Amino acid sequence: MKRRSLLRLGVASAVVLAVAGGTAALLQSGLNQGRLGPAGREVFRAVGRAILDASLPTDPAARGVALDGLLDRVDDLAAALPPHAQDELSQLLSVLASVPGRRVMAGLSEGWALASEISIQQALQGMRLSRLALRQQAYAALHDITAAAYFSDESTWVQLGYPGAPAI
Amino acid sequence: MSQRPDPIREGLKRGWKVSGGSLGPAPERLFCDVAIVGSGAGAGISAELLARAGLKVVMIEEGPLKSSTDFNQKESEAYPQLYQESAARKTEDKAINILQGRCVGGSTTVNWTSSFRTPDATLAFWRDRFGLTDYSSEALGPYFLQAETRLNILPWLTAPNENNDLLRRGAAKLGIPAAAIARNVKGCWNLGSCGMGCPTNAKQSMLVTTIPAALDLGAQLLTEMRADKFEIANGKISALHCRPVMPNGALAHLGTAQTATKIVAKHYVLAGGAINSPALLLRSQAPDPHALLGTRTFLHPVVMSSAVFEQPVHAWSGAPQTIYTDHFLDTQAIDGPIGYKLEAPPLHPVIFASTVPGFGQSQKDLLQSFPNNHTLLALLRDGFHDESRGGKVKLRSDGSPALDYPLTDYVMDGARRALLSMMEIQFAAGARQVLPLHEMAQPYTTWGQARDAVSVLPMKPRLTKFVSAHVMGGCALGGDEKLGVIRPDGVHWQLENLSVHDGSIFPTSIGANPQLSIYGTVNRIAQDLVKRLTGRELVLA
Repeated sequence: MKRRSLLRLGVASAVVLAVAGGTAALLQSGLNQGRLGPAGREVFRAVGRAILDASLPTDPAARGVALDGLLDRVDDLAAALPPHAQDELSQLLSVLASVPGRRVMAGLSEGWALASEISIQQALQGMRLSRLALRQQAYAALHDITAAAYFSDESTWVQLGYPGAPAI
Repeated sequence: MSQRPDPIREGLKRGWKVSGGSLGPAPERLFCDVAIVGSGAGAGISAELLARAGLKVVMIEEGPLKSSTDFNQKESEAYPQLYQESAARKTEDKAINILQGRCVGGSTTVNWTSSFRTPDATLAFWRDRFGLTDYSSEALGPYFLQAETRLNILPWLTAPNENNDLLRRGAAKLGIPAAAIARNVKGCWNLGSCGMGCPTNAKQSMLVTTIPAALDLGAQLLTEMRADKFEIANGKISALHCRPVMPNGALAHLGTAQTATKIVAKHYVLAGGAINSPALLLRSQAPDPHALLGTRTFLHPVVMSSAVFEQPVHAWSGAPQTIYTDHFLDTQAIDGPIGYKLEAPPLHPVIFASTVPGFGQSQKDLLQSFPNNHTLLALLRDGFHDESRGGKVKLRSDGSPALDYPLTDYVMDGARRALLSMMEIQFAAGARQVLPLHEMAQPYTTWGQARDAVSVLPMKPRLTKFVSAHVMGGCALGGDEKLGVIRPDGVHWQLENLSVHDGSIFPTSIGANPQLSIYGTVNRIAQDLVKRLTGRELVLA
């Protein structure tokens, strides 16, 4: 991550970084060359579990497949964003994937992979109604990207009762 | 994939001069009479007129050339290909999501075809406050009529789909007049997929009308090419520097396959759309003695109310936005509390799912209501009051534009009233439940419950969901140089060989879907330009 773009993160994340004790070198990029890196995948897999909890298949194997599909589609969506939006998303995921960032920005004490759907939903709700613009913006980005990516695939449309576009 | 005839692919076979992407790189140097930045509503009208006048025209478009063969009615492909920032462009504080086209044809390729002449009240305000003495319904009438003829803008006589008829029926129950919306279509299949590019070429967008006409006359089109900077010397533009871009808008690495292009023209027409047009002038450090450039950028900020009915609505099916009401614009002074226009947008899975608030079970319940869901939107008429000065376009460190648009208490007051009006109409139409799109709202089952709840909701940015599909202003017309960036004839006040011909020239929002306002006003100033450059008098139709 470049120093210049770090500065754009604003005060709240500067606090997060200070708590992290550190420098940018300690954070993993959320995106690498516009594609989801391990940090980004970890956050979106957990957020996907929580946001889509009731919509995902209940069978664990099918749920795993559905989440893999979600991550592939988030990856495509991120790759299509312009550079400035990729930078911001990468920074957001990077901060959220760090331990202090997860605690301060998301208000989640457990790690993303181990946290229950309910814990993550509570964290999301805290961000959603936060007084801090940065936390609200983070919630909106996670929510909108997750929902848009998941329901962009026709395998999910049966749940929406959507028959697909008419043939012409 | 559409199997219909594709006039764009046929034109390419005939030898149209188009470059970019798979069509090959553009030359490093180009000389022409007029360089037009953009290919949307203003650019298209200008290109046809200028090419017909025998001028050598080059158009520069940042988006790709896609056509009916590509338009497969899938949001997952249309949004990244055809929209600015993959349909996720946002204001700086992320409170408003902006839908704006980025493809050949611009927003006209993806809009919902709603066509209104500029309202009288808006033009009267421009005459009164911005010195635009010749901007009246009478003076512009012939130019609107030509645009309507050229683009087949006619009343839509087919019965509205249920989504739109609910607005008509709900409004009628409350004694609120509603009317049909004219549309720029020819042989429309009533599919409802306008927002993803018309797969049958029925929509009379710039993509299938003026741009092909200009290309047939020898105009040249550079696609996937960003107009990066004007070179300015001695009160004139001396060149336009362009850079090829990747599909996501990142600048392409220059090398043997990709080269920068320098265009030298006698005259330059800037029509990249609001936000992008002022941004190009900012990057070019264009003269701006009165600090007006990029200011007063308006959005018609939109709030929405989502209702569920007993009967299927299928808001994805059938012509979108065919009924509207201006009751909440017409019943109050234009410079009083903010007024709003109500329309019924189409819904498709991605837009619907990303708009449904929340998560878990409550989200699933709403998602499952999709076939019975009817959403109303309110376009807030911004720019007519001291507390509605719109937004300001700025540049990020990479030169890309950012729009700072504060949602003032004045706008928020209108948002609350608009949510109340829409909910009341939806209950009157028989809604089983109504959810105003606000992070703290719940689905309400009676009008009384909804009214009481919304009356006390905190109307704050990001809690209240806002979108916009109408970006206007930033290079405003003004009767003198202290009132605007460009003269009433479209020429820049300080740069004599630059005209601005797009939605950025409006000094306020329009108070109606703006495409026909752009066609009509640009038709007039483009005809003036043709006359100045060639001495010829041309009409659009």
